[in-house]
Amino acid sequence: MSQRELGDLDWALSDLGASLEFPPTPDLAAAVTARLGEAPATAPADRRPRGWLAGVLRLPGWRRLALAGMVAAVLAAAVLVASPGTREAVARRLGLRGVEVRIGEPPPPTATTRPSNRLDLGLGEQVTLEEARRRVAFPVLVPRVGALQRPSAVFVNQAVPEGGRVDLVYRAQPGLPASRFTDVGLLITQFRGQPTPEFIKKVTGMGLVEEVTVAGEPGYWFSGEPHFFTYRDAGGTFREEQTRLAGNTLIWQRGELTLRLEGEISKPEALRIAESMR
Amino acid sequence: MGETESVEGRPLDDQELVEQARGGDARAYEALVRRYQDLAFRTAYVIAGRTADAEDAAQEGFVKAWYALSRFRTGAPFRPWLLAIVANEARNRRRTGRRQDDLALRVAEDRPSGDAAPSPEAAALAIEQRRLLLAAVGRLGEADRQVITCRYFLELSEAEMASALGCRPGTVKSRLSRALERLRVVLAEQGGGPLRASKLRGGER
Repeated sequence: MSQRELGDLDWALSDLGASLEFPPTPDLAAAVTARLGEAPATAPADRRPRGWLAGVLRLPGWRRLALAGMVAAVLAAAVLVASPGTREAVARRLGLRGVEVRIGEPPPPTATTRPSNRLDLGLGEQVTLEEARRRVAFPVLVPRVGALQRPSAVFVNQAVPEGGRVDLVYRAQPGLPASRFTDVGLLITQFRGQPTPEFIKKVTGMGLVEEVTVAGEPGYWFSGEPHFFTYRDAGGTFREEQTRLAGNTLIWQRGELTLRLEGEISKPEALRIAESMR
Repeated sequence: MGETESVEGRPLDDQELVEQARGGDARAYEALVRRYQDLAFRTAYVIAGRTADAEDAAQEGFVKAWYALSRFRTGAPFRPWLLAIVANEARNRRRTGRRQDDLALRVAEDRPSGDAAPSPEAAALAIEQRRLLLAAVGRLGEADRQVITCRYFLELSEAEMASALGCRPGTVKSRLSRALERLRVVLAEQGGGPLRASKLRGGER
């Protein structure tokens, strides 16, 4: 596009913006203020992790769940950790095997990002679904929802974690908007979770963590600001995966498998896909 | 205004209000909400596409931001931080398969449409051109439409656009230029040439 055309378009869009009518803004101030009384925003020093977590995690059934002794969903006690640049960070190990969730400020972004326009997120070796099934020691599940039965690409990594993992990658398509960083619309990771060491670490800042049930088994729904995932690499060290700053993520347990589904999709949509996996 | 003004009678800036709100001052926070409710609601509307969802998202975003204030970095700009939270709430309310026409922005007119009173030809042309341009924006994919809307209709800064769109600040420019490129293609397909913006301005440059 020529500079001239660009200038015209730029001008015309600004002109349009100035003449646009948005729907009238409702009086949010009153509604918001009415809801603030529920719990004052106390200073960081006054906060107890449990109270803060209760607020952030929105877990009405949390205690009941723990008491029920559902092994996979029992939560370890909250641990207050201090890390540089983090006034307040609370780590909590959720009961999903092979997953640790840390709630705190996300790490500063690194300078390098992968090029977009790729389906290969550095997940491992690209193989066919059949080949992936031969290579790992667990039954590979696939969603049974429409076009999702056929992943755009399948990756297998036999080294990490122990027992291997399989990633199903779906190109962005109608109903599956592209991730903010790649052309991927949906990513489903599955591996046989070990109680320790964790394979996935997840750091979420503003995001919400909600407990959910997927086909009768426990899971967690992460929404909010991008979540930062780190994976344990073959050498045993955690590596940050900048490419997978997730929009929304569902992590859940299916028998001995731990599954993670990530995409810019809504919670009901994610649950529907997760429930359909066979 | 009371506590939301300083002793000199000058309105408190964002940082001062944020500091007070962090101390538990709900009135200071209310002042922030009033200051940014238009921006929050419109941003949410652009993303969620429905007024009810936008209202819900903006309200929830403000409430969540209040509870997250202790984690707000002192000295950081409040607007992009708030927008990130609100935009995310809006994204979570976005329904899959949403139709473009849910987002019903309208080009303002001086007189209601259908009014028989003659208006100057130039004004009518300008309104028509704006409508065509708005229609073209509406035909873009969601990502393109949002980046253009954030830039031109909400007049967000690059940092704010990154927050609202959930992308890195460094990618905002390239996303915008790609979106403009595609908008130009849509305009060409729509007919009427590349916009004839110069006519809107009342003549060739």
